[in-house]
Amino acid sequence: MCTDVHGSIALHFYLKKLTGLTGLKPIPRYILYIYSSNDPLTMEKQAIKANPEKWFELYGTLLYQYALPRVKDSEIAEDLVQDTFLSALKGLNGFKGEASEKSWLFTILKNKIIDFYRKKAKEQSVISMPDLRSSENDWFDKEGNWAENRMPKDWDASDNLTERRELQKIINWCKDHLKTLQQSVFTLKYMEDLESAEICKVLNISSSNYWVLLHRIRLQMRDCVEKYWLKN
Amino acid sequence: MKRFIIKYIMYNCKEATLQMAKKEEGKLSFMEKMKLFLHTSMCSFCKKFEKQTNQIARESKHIHAEEKMSVTAKNRIIKLIDEHSF
Repeated sequence: MCTDVHGSIALHFYLKKLTGLTGLKPIPRYILYIYSSNDPLTMEKQAIKANPEKWFELYGTLLYQYALPRVKDSEIAEDLVQDTFLSALKGLNGFKGEASEKSWLFTILKNKIIDFYRKKAKEQSVISMPDLRSSENDWFDKEGNWAENRMPKDWDASDNLTERRELQKIINWCKDHLKTLQQSVFTLKYMEDLESAEICKVLNISSSNYWVLLHRIRLQMRDCVEKYWLKN
Repeated sequence: MKRFIIKYIMYNCKEATLQMAKKEEGKLSFMEKMKLFLHTSMCSFCKKFEKQTNQIARESKHIHAEEKMSVTAKNRIIKLIDEHSF
């Protein structure tokens, strides 16, 4: 119809004159762009073309530093980064520049991390399920009130970056000292932001077990972070 | 009877902390939310627990390592990318 923005505006005024309609609304900009050849959207798309030669330099370290605390093992983290790049190269045609290259690679990595936990859960089967019946009894008394030595104390990390980094380090340390299954749940839930239904599926645990497990994890993690936070 | 009514409208700390985990995912009914609110507005320990746990949840997403990848792995991956890209 129209080849450029100016052309379509001219057409718009011509139509207005022709029909004598004064209330004709201006054509929205995004519609004009569909017809125009110098569409800013496609121009941008061409600019974010995937560029594998620079991938490692740009994202290698970022991806690795993201993966490492989530899988706890440097060799596994390296393998995941490698697999991410290889999958990305395979799917290069699927990359249309809708998202940035960086977030695209991160999406692939996140899927690899979930796959890692799925595989791990299969290997360990049901044996690793801890006994959940008596698990909260050391935190609460018979009436369900806080046990005296477990009551939460006052501590607060402020919003400044050094304190947040410090807190993140402590959280990571505490997470690494949880039991294996609890580590998996904590990582998927709080570091990877998955929903309960998905975590149950990945780790192959029942929903009721999940909530009891999560409750215990939250109690343990808060207690552990408190101890180390107050120590410093 | 009084005990029964109290039990019906009040959570104890164990129940309250469990419900907080479900609240995080928006899995509480209106009544449960009210019961939890009632508990935390009276129990300073559970209030602290909720605040601190929320902070842990918030910061967990930002955790990343500081160390870099080993040189051998780095070279291996760069070589692989080179071989597989065209």
